[in-house]
Amino acid sequence: MSSPLVLLPGDEIPSEYLPSTSSAPLRLGAGLRLLSQPHPTTKSSSTPSHVLTATQAGILSTDNKRNAVSILSSPHRRYIPTANDLVIAQIHHSSPDYFHCMITPQAPHAVLGQLSFEGATKKTRPMLKQGDLVYARVLSTGLGAGAEVELACVNPATGRAEPGGLGPLNGGMVFDVSTGMAARLMKASSSSTGEHQQEGVAGLVVLDELGKKLEKAGGFEIAIGRNGKVWVDCSNSGDAAVKATVAIGRCLTTLDQHELTAADQKKLVSRVLRELKIEV
Amino acid sequence: MVAPSATLSTLNRADGSASYQCPSTGSNILGSVNAPVELPGRRDALRPEDATIEVFVKPGTAPAGVGERYVEGILKTLLGRVILGREKGYPRRGVVITLAIIGGENVSRGDPYLILLPALLHTALLALLSASVPLSMTFSATVLAVDAAGQILREPSAEDAATAQSLHVLAFSSKGHLLLNESQGAFDLDTWEKVRQRASAICHGTQLVSADGDVAMAEDVDGRPLEGSLREMVEDQVYRDYNWQINAA
Amino acid sequence: MAAPPPALTLPPSQFARLQPHAYLLAHLSPPASSNQPSIRANGRASSQFRPTSANTGSLTHTNGSAVVRVGDTTAVCGVRAELLPTSDIASWSVSRSGAANNAQQRQTSSNSNSNDEIDPEESQIQDFNLLVPNLSLSTGCAPGFVPGAPPSALAQSLSHQILALLHSTRLVRADDLRVWYQVPRLGETDTKGQGQGEGGMDVDDDTTTHGQGKREIKAFWALYIDIMIVSLAGNPFDAAWAAVLAALRDTKLPRAWWDVDNEMVVCSDAVAEARRLALRGLPVASSFCVFEADAAAGWRAVIVPDAEEEREIEESARKGMLRRWVLADPDGYEEGLSQERVCVVVDKVDGKTVIVKLEKNGGWAVDGRELKQLVEIAADRWEAVKEILEQC
Repeated sequence: MSSPLVLLPGDEIPSEYLPSTSSAPLRLGAGLRLLSQPHPTTKSSSTPSHVLTATQAGILSTDNKRNAVSILSSPHRRYIPTANDLVIAQIHHSSPDYFHCMITPQAPHAVLGQLSFEGATKKTRPMLKQGDLVYARVLSTGLGAGAEVELACVNPATGRAEPGGLGPLNGGMVFDVSTGMAARLMKASSSSTGEHQQEGVAGLVVLDELGKKLEKAGGFEIAIGRNGKVWVDCSNSGDAAVKATVAIGRCLTTLDQHELTAADQKKLVSRVLRELKIEV
Repeated sequence: MVAPSATLSTLNRADGSASYQCPSTGSNILGSVNAPVELPGRRDALRPEDATIEVFVKPGTAPAGVGERYVEGILKTLLGRVILGREKGYPRRGVVITLAIIGGENVSRGDPYLILLPALLHTALLALLSASVPLSMTFSATVLAVDAAGQILREPSAEDAATAQSLHVLAFSSKGHLLLNESQGAFDLDTWEKVRQRASAICHGTQLVSADGDVAMAEDVDGRPLEGSLREMVEDQVYRDYNWQINAA
Repeated sequence: MAAPPPALTLPPSQFARLQPHAYLLAHLSPPASSNQPSIRANGRASSQFRPTSANTGSLTHTNGSAVVRVGDTTAVCGVRAELLPTSDIASWSVSRSGAANNAQQRQTSSNSNSNDEIDPEESQIQDFNLLVPNLSLSTGCAPGFVPGAPPSALAQSLSHQILALLHSTRLVRADDLRVWYQVPRLGETDTKGQGQGEGGMDVDDDTTTHGQGKREIKAFWALYIDIMIVSLAGNPFDAAWAAVLAALRDTKLPRAWWDVDNEMVVCSDAVAEARRLALRGLPVASSFCVFEADAAAGWRAVIVPDAEEEREIEESARKGMLRRWVLADPDGYEEGLSQERVCVVVDKVDGKTVIVKLEKNGGWAVDGRELKQLVEIAADRWEAVKEILEQC
């Protein structure tokens, strides 16, 4: 790919930037819309009758595998629920059938069925209190205005918590990061488990580095929500648990605010651990 | 002519924000956008299929008065045509834009806001872009004064504006439409035509179509077209945000 | 053998409520076969204004008042004058020091010269807020406006528009609002001393001071211009501005002078001594809205043609179907169906049209060519309004 294409609203997307595989239909992601030409003008015989234009400012991101195209806009934007996103939600209150959870403070509460947990029945359902955290998947965002966002901690088709880890988050601590950072962390953590890359995925090595360094202290658990929340739990590390949690949070928020190269990220991790007097 | 400068996403808690430095009036405008937000009450009775746009203009030192209400109305009408309020997640919700004027000369009562209007418009646009609110197009605006001798003065200071024969604010969309015109003072249509041409040149540059059909942006007395400056401000921010990806590619 | 279903017929008034856009569109673009002219739902041609009437002096407690009715939109305007002694103006002593000479010179020149002499102290109107317009919509004028509610955003912005227009047209002369005091000559020596003190004075200035003694401003008239929209059926600005204009033309200020003994400004109650304001010109406002044929334009995702293409489409569309209409003096029904607004304020000086204010916002249908036509329509409207205002 040549240099990334920066688009502003109203800009047309040149066809050479679109994924070239033509067999599958093109999937349009956020920030793009397909427009049709209503009035055939004098010169329209040569121009196509449909064009793709941007509606947000950002860089064009194409995925050849999925034949998808979208716009990466400002990483500090508000999280807007989309189906199948993994989010960390906080229980606000519960009603007989639903838990009402907060995904972002501005948005209306999302609903999470009392029974949409793995293996939950009327008797075994989790008893969540106000303020408890759940790692959930956005099931649907509803159609039309005023529709409620529905969450689930279970795949309704299989009745299992997939991907793994969905459900109540016990203990630990939540850190706020930007939505762009959350997306990057998810990308990094989802692919770095299998193949090892030197530069890390999405330019992030901080989690790998922290994992290596904190291994001796007992390691940590992490859950990343697309809504800009990161949950960290180090309960295995015994006495150093609090320190390690703080260290991870500090690394992530610093990284969110300052752009760091892979080498700088490693330095950051060592510095933070040293400052908190965590032995590695 | 000193080009305006701006930084995007300056505020942490707002969904989108921009800080805009206007060289001609010396004022700094801080804009924030929150969208989509739930609006209190049932305001959706009027147009349930569209987003409600609210604009608040806060002057630097005084409480907001009728003049601010008037500019808010202008901004609201213009932005209403540009914001895609029917995109997913927006109908019946609100797009709240707050613009605070920091520093610069104060606008006194009954004074037209015209000399500040382009800066307010640009700040609102940049803040909307920073909040990733879907827009159908972008725009650029400028203010011109015509003095008694018929000379057109670009982006006049408050004193120049006070002595000018007429004052004009024009906004053009990125596709070249005249989106907004606010003119006051005595003038005739020929003057207005000249003002419109000059404003179009300031916003878009003079378009020269070369032999092979390419449209070249010519730079003339007005320096870089405003549209280009605005685009650059956004591009700078995008490059900063996606440094990691651009480096990797 | 089922009978054909009964045809669904609706009276026009119901159709207008259910499908307002289609109703207006059907009027504006009748089928070619029907041979009917394109006409608005209210029976007017697209550039036709509503019948306008004006009546002045109906409020007895004001210095000047007017009722202007444009169709079903009615505006009542009252002008109340109050004296503002210069001793009450905080910034007066500061601004006066440099201005006194100036003012005097201007005074002499405006006596001799024509009306259009520019007054260097004209900004006093703006500096001291001598004109205070306030527009109120909270009269139950339309279903949406609750009586007694705080001023809505629309009312505030209309107030500002009227104030800005009063300032930018310099309709009221600052000199009409000044109350002068002629300092009596107390003796030859005194004046001499004064003359020496202000050594920089011009020669002819000196002679005037010799003749008249020193003049100073003791007070200003502040005009409180209150506008009530009694009934709102679209286009409040045109009616409100016409009412302001008519009321100011009707305004009479009593003769006021400085009473040295009591050290206050006193007014004469003799009607004969009151004088009218000498207004500058007669700016008349005309508003327009743009009605788009495609009601669902905002819904459908279509390419917005850029300005060049727009012009081409416009050219080709001229012969066939129209895509949009510019409607003069929109009523409430039409305002609800359009987004783009144009407001033109024109005046005529020696038969030549001068634009005083030109506003357009909310769309991209109106550009140079359309504006030119609208200015012409506004110039015709000026003649009509002038006649109405002169009769009342």
